[in-house]
Amino acid sequence: MHFLKGLLLSLLPAAALAAKKPVVDKFSQFHTKALASTPLKLDDSVYAKLTAAPRNYSVVVLLTAMEARFGCALCREFQPEWDLLSSSWTKGDKKGDSRLVFGTLDFVDGKNTFQSLGLQTAPVLLFFQPTVGPHAIPDNGPIRYDFTSGPQSAEQVHSWIARYLPDRPHPQVNRPINWVRGIAITTTILATITFLSVAWPYMVPIIQNRNVWAAISLIAILLFTTGHMFNHIRKVPYVTGDGRGGVSYFAGGFSNQNGLETQILAAIYGLLSFATISLALKVPRITDPKTQQVAVIVWSGVIFVMYSFLLSVFRMKNGGYPFWLPPFF
Amino acid sequence: MAETVADPFFKGNTGRNTRGILRLSILVLIAAAAIASRLFSVIRFESIIHEFDPWFNFRATKYLVSNGFYDFWDWFDDRTWHPLGRVTGGTLYPGLMVTSGAIYHALRALTIPVDIRNICVLLAPGFSGLTAFATYLFTNEMSTSPSAGLLAAAFMGIAPGYISRSVAGSYDNEAIAIFLLVFTFYLWIKAVKLGSAMWGALCALFYGYMVSAWGGYVFITNLIPLHVFVLVCMGRFSPRLYVSYCTWYALGTLASMQIPFVGFLPIRSSEHMSALGVFGLLQLVGFVEFVRSGVPSKQFGTLLRGFVLLVFGISFGGLVLLTVSGVIAPWTGRFYSLWDTGYAKIHIPIIASVSEHQPTAWPAYFFDLNLLIWLFPAGVYLCFQKLADEQVFVVVYSILASYFSGVMVRLMLTLTPIVCVAAALAVSSLLDTYLLLKSPEYPGDSATEAGSNGTPAPSKKAAKQDGLRSMRQPLVGIYTTFSKMSVVSALTSYLLIFVLHCTWVTSNAYSSPSVVLASRMPDGSQHIIDDYREAYQWLRQNTAEDAKIMSWWDYGYQIGGMADRPTLVDNNTWNNTHIATVGKAMSSREEVSYPIMRQHEVDYVLVVFGGLLGYSGDDINKFLWMVRIAEGIWPDEVKERDFFTDRGEYRVDEGATETMKNSLMYKMSYYNYCTLFPPGQCQDRVRGVKLPDVGPTLNTVEEAFTSENWIIRIFKVKDLDNAGRDLASAASFERGNKKKKTIKKRGPKVLRVE
Repeated sequence: MHFLKGLLLSLLPAAALAAKKPVVDKFSQFHTKALASTPLKLDDSVYAKLTAAPRNYSVVVLLTAMEARFGCALCREFQPEWDLLSSSWTKGDKKGDSRLVFGTLDFVDGKNTFQSLGLQTAPVLLFFQPTVGPHAIPDNGPIRYDFTSGPQSAEQVHSWIARYLPDRPHPQVNRPINWVRGIAITTTILATITFLSVAWPYMVPIIQNRNVWAAISLIAILLFTTGHMFNHIRKVPYVTGDGRGGVSYFAGGFSNQNGLETQILAAIYGLLSFATISLALKVPRITDPKTQQVAVIVWSGVIFVMYSFLLSVFRMKNGGYPFWLPPFF
Repeated sequence: MAETVADPFFKGNTGRNTRGILRLSILVLIAAAAIASRLFSVIRFESIIHEFDPWFNFRATKYLVSNGFYDFWDWFDDRTWHPLGRVTGGTLYPGLMVTSGAIYHALRALTIPVDIRNICVLLAPGFSGLTAFATYLFTNEMSTSPSAGLLAAAFMGIAPGYISRSVAGSYDNEAIAIFLLVFTFYLWIKAVKLGSAMWGALCALFYGYMVSAWGGYVFITNLIPLHVFVLVCMGRFSPRLYVSYCTWYALGTLASMQIPFVGFLPIRSSEHMSALGVFGLLQLVGFVEFVRSGVPSKQFGTLLRGFVLLVFGISFGGLVLLTVSGVIAPWTGRFYSLWDTGYAKIHIPIIASVSEHQPTAWPAYFFDLNLLIWLFPAGVYLCFQKLADEQVFVVVYSILASYFSGVMVRLMLTLTPIVCVAAALAVSSLLDTYLLLKSPEYPGDSATEAGSNGTPAPSKKAAKQDGLRSMRQPLVGIYTTFSKMSVVSALTSYLLIFVLHCTWVTSNAYSSPSVVLASRMPDGSQHIIDDYREAYQWLRQNTAEDAKIMSWWDYGYQIGGMADRPTLVDNNTWNNTHIATVGKAMSSREEVSYPIMRQHEVDYVLVVFGGLLGYSGDDINKFLWMVRIAEGIWPDEVKERDFFTDRGEYRVDEGATETMKNSLMYKMSYYNYCTLFPPGQCQDRVRGVKLPDVGPTLNTVEEAFTSENWIIRIFKVKDLDNAGRDLASAASFERGNKKKKTIKKRGPKVLRVE
């Protein structure tokens, strides 16, 4: 008995070594690859090898679809962030202390993997915890990160990954200094200054022109009061279909609108205001009585018809609204 | 004949008096109309405080009236935000409560016994009358036409955009703040016009009052400096401007710092920096003007340039240094979200969750302002006609307020006064032109007359440079009676429609107390749904005085005000983490929620459920915000994704996710709900779905009360089990389930080596 026990004990470390050795190799092998270029470009077989069960390292894999025919805007938006994150992580952790490998699996190279995971959407970020070693986690299913709230920045994903890697180094994201942008901005500023200094004598009358400022103010007011900020914040569609192949200019519902709708409204308000201004300022300055009479009738008519149309549009938006004016019901 | 009879009344001294009396009586009538149109809710329901925030203001006012001013100032409220409490005296704007307290004591001194509740309910309508008067004064400063002010007052009195926050019972800060806003602006214009330190000081005084009343005072703090800045840029610096602004800034800032909640913000937070910066700029410009008068102009240029550059460099460096060292606070979230519109959505879900903070779609403008919205640009254009200091103010105010109201629905309130003023300018200019009985002479004569005067040619050229396009020709007038009649009658009918519109909107949209709901019976009679008060009354009478109630923050103020019980969170959302704790308790499984509730000593949980009645503002519809806010603090434990099905739907029926079905909120909402229906017909009328027949079971809480229409459900949190079991198994035992044999998990079989 004692003999057997001794034998087993002596064998144990050997067995452990034998079991451990290829695993270590696997990480260092991937890590050296990653040092050359990261994230690793995977295909089905490499993916399977990388995420195979006994592993003493963590893996983050981005499942994406970059080709234009899939039309995945989110994938393309996130890709530079992802490259930035993985390269700055790998650079900051050359020795591989965090034992983390970054990989990218494109749909073109990994159809089978997408199928086996039952993925309908891309991109998806999967995080595999180590199954053996000091940081092993018993539940070895991957953790999934969905891009439900739009494209994410490298920092956000960094903090998400760091949350699952306690007691390990988390190299910071280093954004490269954007030289092109800096140069562009400097050039623009210099060009503007040059332009201003040259064109200043010609610009002064424009800047001091009351009509220009009046136009700017009125356009700003018209834009804001027709819900331009709503379009900007909610990113509403410009027009929507009406379900029969046509276009519906007005969105249904009281607190909803289309981009084109607000422009129509701005035009209506603008026309009404312009007619009012004409009646108040221009018409009393017409010296010919007949022209004046015609102008009064025309502008009053414009106000009447446009206001009636405005009311009818509002009735469309707000079902129970009881007021209307003749031409449009 | 008629002319001779009426003559004495409209000429000379008597005429002035007649006009004065007419004007006064019109203003009084406008005030009466403004008050009367806000009384729908009192007449239909009763004299009751509305909605959510007013309940806190009401409670604070009662405290003020019964304990006196100093106790109110130092009030520490241990019945909210349990167990943290709230330094209420230092974290509220006391202007509203102090105003109604003063009115209360004044009436008592006059031996008129009035209940404090009635003062609170009727405060907003009363002040709306004053707002109409302030608008009248403000508009009179803008225009020489006597009708503009009266029209503006009338518009202001009944515009739904202002009524929305000032109906009877809507006892909120805005009730008095809009009056103060308009009146402060009036005083400011007066100060700028006269260059008087007295008017500037008065403006500062009312600014101080405004600061004590509403957080929206920041609008004034930024608008007045902007006005001054624009004037300086236009080359309109004058001693008048210097005197009025410096008086206002120095006194107003001191006044605003007396409010504990504001404290040192005016010199530290970035929202107030523009006022400080413009103050510095004015000193600089004033100094330069002073030097210019003493130094020969040759050296002056170099001196000026060097000086300005130096000051700019020093102040910019100082600003950066202070910001980096943290003396100047960064933008507060609510204000920041006004500029960077995507900010709140990403960083502060609690701000994004409030419906008042949503952007405004165009129907809301038309709904709140009707025809004023298209008269508004015309009125602003008319301001360019003269463009004196005060007209510049109108233009600046219009653009700034239009932008803000587009970003946040609630800021429609600050837009409404200027829309009324501008629209009144447009309408009055129309009426002044078309209501003139006297027609101009024949055109041929007037043309030769103008030519013989010899003025037109040069003045035309001057006008071309400076004036508006539409003003280049000389004014003639309207010739025919038909033109006058048609324009005036059309305008009258539009204004009548406006009145109808305002009445309709007020009556239909803004007069519901939302504490009491009204519905129609099949026979057309009105049926009052009073579940809220029923439930709060139950709490008041059936629970211990210090029983802690957990609910979503929306109902915190009402519970405090109506049931008088301590709450965990309320509408003063100052502590996001604490709100997230409640959100987590609501959105987690019972086993997770129970320890949280025990730790916070929760006795009762209150949920609002509209499934039976079809009441859409219930907690299940707000649930995602709870989840989101909780996820912001505990991203590992609460995940919004888990509440959506695989296909991304938010469901409550059979297909709801497991996380949803196990969440405390879901269980409490639908507990026993299906017993109301025959089997197979259990239905949620808000979301319009059929529910599974077997409802959820509750282990850690038990149903204590459900109101008549099931809108409010109150659950009691169970005490620890006497026998030391965990509550799930105790409840299972109660239900008579057989105790499950616990199968001990044994590890994998090991080879015994001996």
